[in-house]
Amino acid sequence: MRGDSFSVSIESLPDSPSSSRKKKKKKISKVFDKMTQWVTPWRSKSDLPRERRILRGDVEQEEFQYASSHCLSSYYSVFVVRLAIMVMLAILIGLLTILTWHFTRIYTKQSLQTLAYGLRYELLQRPILRMWSVLNTTSELTTAQVKLSEYVIRKYDKPTTQEELVEMYQAMKDVTWALFTSAKALNAITIKYRNGFVQAFHRDPASSSTYYIFSDLKNYSISGTRPEDVSMTLGHGWHNHTIHGNMSAIWYQQQLDPITGARLGKPLQIPPDDLINIAGISQVPDGEASWHVTVSKYMDSPLLSAALPVFDASNKSIVAVVGVTTALYSVGQLMRDLVEVHGGHIYLTSQEGYLLATSTNGPLLTNTSKGPKLMKAIDSEEWAIKAGAQWLEKTYGRNRPHEIHAENAKLGDQQYYIDSFYLNLKRLPIVGVVIIPRKFIMGKVDERAFKTLVILISASVCIFIIGCVCILILTNGVSKEMKLRAELIRQLDARRRAEASSNYKSQFLANMSHELRTPMAAVIGLLDILISDDCLSNEQYATVTQIRKCSTALLRLLNNILDLSKVESGKLVLEEAEFDLGRELEGLVDMFSVQCINHNVETVLDLSDDMPTLVRGDSARLVQIFANLISNSIKFTTTGHIILRGWCENLNSLHDEMSLTGDRKKPWAPIKTKLVHHRNHSQKSCKNENKMVLWFEVDDTGCGIDPSKWDSVFESFEQADPSTTRTHGGTGLGLCIVRNLVNKMGGDIKVVQKNGLGTIMRLYLILTIPDNADQICQPDFSKYGLVVLLSMSGSTARMIQSKWLRKHGIATVEASDWNELTQIIRDLFETGSRENSFDSQHNIAESLRAELSNIQEIKNPVFVIVVDIGILDLTTDIWKEQLNYLDRFSSKAKFAWLLKHDTSNTVKTELRRKGHVMMVNKPLYKAKMIQILEAVIKNRKRSLSNTMSNRGNGSDESHDCLEIDPTQYDTCSSDDSSETSSEKQGDKSVKPSTLPSPVLKNYLLDIAKSNDDPTSGTQKKQEEEEDWKDRSNRLYSGIALDGKNQKSLQGIRILLAEDTPVLQRVATIMLEKMGATVTAVWDGQQAVDALNYKSISAQDSIQEYKLSEQETTQSGFQNSSFYDLILMDCQMPKMDGYEATKAIRRAEIGTELHIPIVALTAHAMSSDEAKCLEVGMDAYLTKPIDRKLMVSTILSLTTKSSTLLTSFSA
Amino acid sequence: MDALVAQLQRQFRDYTVSLYQLGFLDDQFTELKKLQDDDSPEFVAEVLSLFFEDCVKLIGNMARALDQTGGSTVDFSLVGSSVHQLKGSSSSVGAKRVKGLCVTFKEYCEAQNYEGCVRCLQQVDIEYKTLKTKLQDMFNLEKQIIQAGGKVPQVSIN
Repeated sequence: MRGDSFSVSIESLPDSPSSSRKKKKKKISKVFDKMTQWVTPWRSKSDLPRERRILRGDVEQEEFQYASSHCLSSYYSVFVVRLAIMVMLAILIGLLTILTWHFTRIYTKQSLQTLAYGLRYELLQRPILRMWSVLNTTSELTTAQVKLSEYVIRKYDKPTTQEELVEMYQAMKDVTWALFTSAKALNAITIKYRNGFVQAFHRDPASSSTYYIFSDLKNYSISGTRPEDVSMTLGHGWHNHTIHGNMSAIWYQQQLDPITGARLGKPLQIPPDDLINIAGISQVPDGEASWHVTVSKYMDSPLLSAALPVFDASNKSIVAVVGVTTALYSVGQLMRDLVEVHGGHIYLTSQEGYLLATSTNGPLLTNTSKGPKLMKAIDSEEWAIKAGAQWLEKTYGRNRPHEIHAENAKLGDQQYYIDSFYLNLKRLPIVGVVIIPRKFIMGKVDERAFKTLVILISASVCIFIIGCVCILILTNGVSKEMKLRAELIRQLDARRRAEASSNYKSQFLANMSHELRTPMAAVIGLLDILISDDCLSNEQYATVTQIRKCSTALLRLLNNILDLSKVESGKLVLEEAEFDLGRELEGLVDMFSVQCINHNVETVLDLSDDMPTLVRGDSARLVQIFANLISNSIKFTTTGHIILRGWCENLNSLHDEMSLTGDRKKPWAPIKTKLVHHRNHSQKSCKNENKMVLWFEVDDTGCGIDPSKWDSVFESFEQADPSTTRTHGGTGLGLCIVRNLVNKMGGDIKVVQKNGLGTIMRLYLILTIPDNADQICQPDFSKYGLVVLLSMSGSTARMIQSKWLRKHGIATVEASDWNELTQIIRDLFETGSRENSFDSQHNIAESLRAELSNIQEIKNPVFVIVVDIGILDLTTDIWKEQLNYLDRFSSKAKFAWLLKHDTSNTVKTELRRKGHVMMVNKPLYKAKMIQILEAVIKNRKRSLSNTMSNRGNGSDESHDCLEIDPTQYDTCSSDDSSETSSEKQGDKSVKPSTLPSPVLKNYLLDIAKSNDDPTSGTQKKQEEEEDWKDRSNRLYSGIALDGKNQKSLQGIRILLAEDTPVLQRVATIMLEKMGATVTAVWDGQQAVDALNYKSISAQDSIQEYKLSEQETTQSGFQNSSFYDLILMDCQMPKMDGYEATKAIRRAEIGTELHIPIVALTAHAMSSDEAKCLEVGMDAYLTKPIDRKLMVSTILSLTTKSSTLLTSFSA
Repeated sequence: MDALVAQLQRQFRDYTVSLYQLGFLDDQFTELKKLQDDDSPEFVAEVLSLFFEDCVKLIGNMARALDQTGGSTVDFSLVGSSVHQLKGSSSSVGAKRVKGLCVTFKEYCEAQNYEGCVRCLQQVDIEYKTLKTKLQDMFNLEKQIIQAGGKVPQVSIN
């Protein structure tokens, strides 16, 4: 219960407090942990269930949202686990200890006790046996004496005379002596005759001398009381008589030699009864043997005396009483010996409690005034015996059982075993008591037990401590893991937070760009207005168009930033559409060149010839990639050049290419392998598709990137140098977007090593090439004998350009400044002066020299001089003279001018005035070059045709014309329109490889043939100019043209489904303004209904139309319904746009109808677009409606169907 | 007369520009104006009146939806769809502030934030009324110009 509430309180802690608070908590928990490690066991018990609960695997089940609380509780769980294990260990060890101790002790004790019992029994048994043997000996001796006495007395039966009597006594004395000496243990043998005569032998142990005691014979009469009387008055007669007799008798003591029995000295008279007890008739009252314990004066131990009557021959009367006395001394001696070995005390008492023998040396007799007396055990001077006797008395009282085994008798302050046995002898019952101190038997055991206990306890304490340490060490791992896990959870939490913040970031970006889009739209709109203004000059027009391009690029960029969040969340869907790669890149370079020229940086586009023109992919994203890269390069490049290189590899021929173009791809070894991998994959996945690996390089001469940052620059908000933001601005987002997009297109981007200053970003993309596309439209210029003189200030661009030209068999001469240009021109054209001008020749390098001489050998050369306007000295007025100078050669060569975007109008007009109409904006790239060359060739052809038509004129070039192949001539000179028309007609005879792509025509700003043919006149020239201008217009703003045409939607009938009245009205007016017929409905259901109704009626009308074929209108054929298009709002009441579209498409199943449906939605995400397209819509417009976009969309959808139908009807 | 016209025209221009600058209107309004020509001379006024009617209706709807239940069981989807409509129509006429508010409003709606919704509703109400008076003023100016015999100038915002 306690544990539960405890854990709940922990888990319900808030999970997202500040880190400091968390730390504090952690600290507290640690302290708590340490504190409670040594806390009382109740806590562990209370914590036990909780710990089990957590151990049961809740750790895995716990969700991360309780991360912090969990990590806190993990500390507790570890601690609790430790505590529990320790407690269990303690219990285990304790039990083990107790059990071990118990068993060892109990068993030892029991066996010892059994042993001790036996010992005690034995101990007691032996003195008793001794006693018994003493008794037996005494008894046997007595019996023997009696038998002998009987024998002797019978021999001298009825002694009548004194002599006979003496003789008998003498015989008796001898017999008795013999017996006496044979039994050394005897103390005394007495014979008392009927007449009161006493014969006794006695040993005095003190003096170890033997005495013969006898009474005076004279006093005894032979005739005593009658034997017959004995039986009758046995007791009284004898007793009285004896007493009387003895009283009067005189006793003598004669010392004898103990061995021989010879008399020593004279008999001494002694008082009767003084020395020994003489057994009289009184002691055998019933004629049986009797036993007595007596004391004697000379002995300090009690004596055992037996008395037996001696009967006469007739066995009727007692003639004498034999008494045998034995000292119990030997028993005591034995007991002492025993005790000496075993310890303790033994004593024997009579039934009455008189001590007979003890194991001690203490006296057994009390000296009273009446002589020594037997002593009771309780009165013994020996403490142990006295205490034992008292204990027995106290414990058992009077009626004591025969056998007692007391084990824990407390005597004094010690414990004793007391055992008592009862020896039931006839007439002399004996009780033996053994008192053994417990210490003697159990002392060792107890000591051992105690020692064992101590050892066990200390051992278990040690084990417990070691165990605890082990547990600590073992659980340390667990707790470390717990900590790690907690750390991991914290990390995950942090990551989640970081992701959240990244999401916020993306959100912010999205919002920002969303906000920026509106002003951008305004800018574009205004530009459109400007473009539609008629009073613009061509240059202004071009500029504005450029601005519009840039603006749309910016808008696109904004949209892309909007999409970056989608890339990051994986929602970005790349478009798959065909586009002209080269043109996109050229446009891009054009756009950036403006910026670059400001920076005094050359922008060069260097695409290899094998680059496919048409590829499938997402053009906007592709452009975005390069826009980002180039703008990035521009940012860091102050002088020098930026080169955008491109080349391609066919995936299928990758291996060959690799080996061929080794030097270029050397640094790409890792990517190459990756590429091969990729290729293997792609070969499997898309066998049919013609995939291509396009390589690009953006090479700049900027400040470069530190190699250590090469990877990190592609991270979000990462810049190579933190100061970049201050000096160059930017967010560090561009490269991140680039990498995301490149990866998305199946490529990779990397910074590669560059020799010299700057950076090279190299990337490859994998793009699909449409199968039907004519990939390489490479014009063949080598036949025309073209000679190009490139005079450009930018060396890089010039070099690349000349390289390309030479590769295509066009003789090229380079000039980097005005002087060089004039030099070369002079060399080329002023052939007459050439030989003479030695000084000028010195200035020309040998290679150039060789080149020039080569050119001299070309027959009928066509000179094209490409002049960068920057070569002229524009700061002063010298340029006019320079122009004049060049003008002199205009008849011999075609001049193409490279203008800067900021080239002043005066220069342009001057140029135009001079008849230089071939002007292109910088930068010069392949396509522009081709355009120039084609224009030159075309003009050449015109002039040739002119010459051919009027041969008679005899132009100086007429002799060359024959060398031109007519077919070639024809195809190459065919202009735009004829080409497209021929293509449309499916003229297969035209070789695609020699066909200049139509788009290539569109680069010249302004071009007219150099007017060397006076017959063509100004009209023709104007025509030309108009033609070019129109083309340029179409190039720069196709939309603007549409915008001009207000009635572009003339005759198109549109069904508008829109629930918001405002929108409906606006859209209606907008469409009507453009000439469309609009029917508005309020929701999807109405739209579906309207369509159904109309289609039914339309079918009727078709019938009618068929009847009257003359009246067939185009619309009737165009679509079977009355509407050419539906504009569908997505969110509408009753039936929304998606549902309505689905319904319409369902209705169309089985018919050949397909009415275009355009979605109108306020959601601007491409996922919505996907949804729209999914349900069967054809296009997608966002609110607020952009007029131009709407028009173009509508037109594209309706004309498609109309052309289809026209062809169908045709 | 001409001076008056010129003054009125300038006033009109300034006023219109201020409307743009203060963010009441955006280029969509310009688009709208472009659509107005001799064929439909009252087009802008017509659309705007439609818009304001729409506003009244939608705001009424939302107010009812938000009011009647006191915040506990508000049907936010209902409010949301109304807001969406309002957003659509306001963006179509170029009522920029209303549109912006609608965006916020919609977020609150999606978050089911009752307080925020109510606050937004009030703001939208105030905003559209303000816009209405402003546009009213503008149309009055236009009328004055026309009455004075002048031509309503095309105002371009940059």
